[in-house]
Amino acid sequence: MLFIRAIVRPEKKDEVLENLSAGGFHAATVVDVVGRGKQKGIRMGDVFYDEIPKTLILVAIEDWDKDKITNIILKTGKTGISGNFGDGKIFISPVEEAYTISTGAKGL
Amino acid sequence: MKEILAIVRMKRTSATKRALIDAGVAGFTAVRVMGRGKLVHDEKVIMPCKEILMEMAPDDVIDEQVSEEEIVTFLDDTRMFPRRLFTILAYDEDVPRIVEAIMKANRTERGAGDGKVFITPVADAIRVRTGESGDAAIW
Repeated sequence: MLFIRAIVRPEKKDEVLENLSAGGFHAATVVDVVGRGKQKGIRMGDVFYDEIPKTLILVAIEDWDKDKITNIILKTGKTGISGNFGDGKIFISPVEEAYTISTGAKGL
Repeated sequence: MKEILAIVRMKRTSATKRALIDAGVAGFTAVRVMGRGKLVHDEKVIMPCKEILMEMAPDDVIDEQVSEEEIVTFLDDTRMFPRRLFTILAYDEDVPRIVEAIMKANRTERGAGDGKVFITPVADAIRVRTGESGDAAIW
C-alpha cells in the first residue's frame, strides 16, 4: 500500500477530488496548509509572501494504482498548458498496514 | 520506528486521547481535516442515518419530499466531513497495542465513518531539545 500526499492549489481542490472520485479513488482526506517552494515564495512589489496557501490531499492506495492516481492529479492540478510554479507536488510513501475502525478489517 | 496516522471522529477526540494515555502513549500531534471515505451502498447503514437527519428537518417550513431529496443528495454527494487526524510515533512492538486501543475507543454503532488507521515506516526522528536521534527520540 502507498500513501499519496499531493499539494495542490486550493482553487484546484474540488476539480482534483472530482476527478479522483471519477477515477475510482473516492476516499480522501483534505487539509488546508501554508507553505513555500523552491522559488522561495512570491514577491509582489514590496511585499514578500512565503506562506502561500495550498491544499494537502491524502489518499491511501494499492501499489498498482500509483501511476493512475499520479496521472489524474498531475493532469488536473496543472494550470495552463505547460504548468506554472506553485502548481504543487506529489509525495509517495509506503504504508505497511491499514485498518478500518468500524469493522476492524485490515487493508483499504 | 513507526508512524501511526489515525483519522477519527471529532467527537471521539477526547476518548482517543484517554485511550492513548491508557496505552502508555501520551505524545501525539492532531490536525483538523476534512475527508470522505468509500461510497456506502449498504441500506442497513444508510437508513438509520437518514432517519436521524429526517428528524432534524424542519417539517413545518419545508414539505417532506423536499427535505428527503436534500438528505439523499447530502448522503450521496461527494461531501467532505470533518475529522481529526492523529499522528503518533511509536516503537515497532507497541504498534499493535496502540492500534487496538484507537480502534476500541472509536468504534460506534453507525457502521461507517468511524475512520481509518494507517501505519507507515519512519526513517529517523530527532529530539530538538537534546539532539538525540533514533529510538531515544520517540519518548
